[in-house]
Amino acid sequence: MYSLLLLNGGIGARAGAGQPKQLVKVNGLPILVYSLVAADAVDEITQIILNYPDGWRQQIEAIVADYAIRTPVVYVRAGASRHESVRAMLDVATEDDVVIHETARPLVTSADFSSLVASEHRNVSLMLEIPFTVAPVDPESQRVTGYLERSTLRNVQLPQKFSTADLRDAHAFAERENRLFTEDATLVAVAGHDVRFVPGSDRNIKVTTPTDIRLATYLLTGGDEA
Amino acid sequence: MATTLLVTGASRGIGYETVRRFLQDSSPEKGTVDKIVLVARDSQDYTDALVELEAANPRGVELAPYRADVGDRGALLELVDQLAEEQGNIDFLVNNAGYTNPVPLQQVDFSDFERTMSVNLYAPFTLVQELLHRGNQFDLIVNIASTAGITGRSGWLTYSASKAALINMSEVMREELAIYGTRVVCLSPGRTATALRRVLAPTEDPSTIMQPGDVAAVIEMLASPVGKYVDSANLVVRQ
Repeated sequence: MYSLLLLNGGIGARAGAGQPKQLVKVNGLPILVYSLVAADAVDEITQIILNYPDGWRQQIEAIVADYAIRTPVVYVRAGASRHESVRAMLDVATEDDVVIHETARPLVTSADFSSLVASEHRNVSLMLEIPFTVAPVDPESQRVTGYLERSTLRNVQLPQKFSTADLRDAHAFAERENRLFTEDATLVAVAGHDVRFVPGSDRNIKVTTPTDIRLATYLLTGGDEA
Repeated sequence: MATTLLVTGASRGIGYETVRRFLQDSSPEKGTVDKIVLVARDSQDYTDALVELEAANPRGVELAPYRADVGDRGALLELVDQLAEEQGNIDFLVNNAGYTNPVPLQQVDFSDFERTMSVNLYAPFTLVQELLHRGNQFDLIVNIASTAGITGRSGWLTYSASKAALINMSEVMREELAIYGTRVVCLSPGRTATALRRVLAPTEDPSTIMQPGDVAAVIEMLASPVGKYVDSANLVVRQ
């Protein structure tokens, strides 16, 4: 069975409205509702660990109650970085495996979670091909320093799943090495564990800006099916 | 898995005919239910209706009758507690109970306007909200509005306003409940030979207009497999 680590803590004004961005609404519903409802319908997810921006616990708990989320929810205060948030959430995970997702991706479906859970591999991330070219640079001197082969690069998405033991080991490794990672698939891989990827969907966008909210609303209301 | 239908205003008219239709044969292309929860105010009509329905139940569908006035919020909340305890998940909900007392604006008694809104608008809202709060997962919600909610009618201010609000509320429900895969259909019958119609148009010959069974047939279609292809914010049914 799986503990879902549902990242919901980053406070940023990027999506506007003067609220932490995850409390922003998409098509009139608080954005975290989409991920909670999708995960709640997945039998293998038996624990949800939800973090909350400092000062927002009450509002977050009220949303979970109003939407009658049946899976038990544990609340953890958001850390200073995503890396720290995941580590803190891992401390209270009770299941042998975890799924990591973020509420800023409201287009996730129950089927996305289910197919990840069904994968034969223990550590798996949704990833997307990169449709554009990226270059390695030295930001200081603004010098281009080489070439990256696009076919060997992927856009890292969520959700991801990990063996709880592997993820804990990877976070202990990062602490020993005094390194912070921006996401966990590369962290677990760098720590020496086998991590695989499966193709994600370009619908599963991360909602960060007001334009993203409009795009997500368009997709959620079937605008692309006309 | 067992499928349960809840119909409010089940003692007569569209509600009664809806129950009657769902009791009939269970070919796979039809919407079949294993249990029907009936809700209506206590009345001789209701008692008689239950006897008739039990006699017209060839498949042995379980009938679970409740006596409650859905316009009484306290009674409705009690009813939902009872339903949650005794009936399990409600898959199909038909919000059919309706009330009207058609009078011109100057003669509207405010408490009667409130009563109209309570039965026609707040009751469907409260049933859906309270059941959702208890973790109910709806497959289909049908809200019975009226063509009088599309165009206001002179002399029917309270009724027209309540049904207009129900049509609009159904649109919002439809969008918000899409996250559960719940379908929400608002159905607006035109002139239908019901007791409520007799209040609205006492001089009309009921045999010349649409019958409640015709509306019930449309509701049955919505609950059948083909019903998921019917995508309409407000489905008008009229003769």
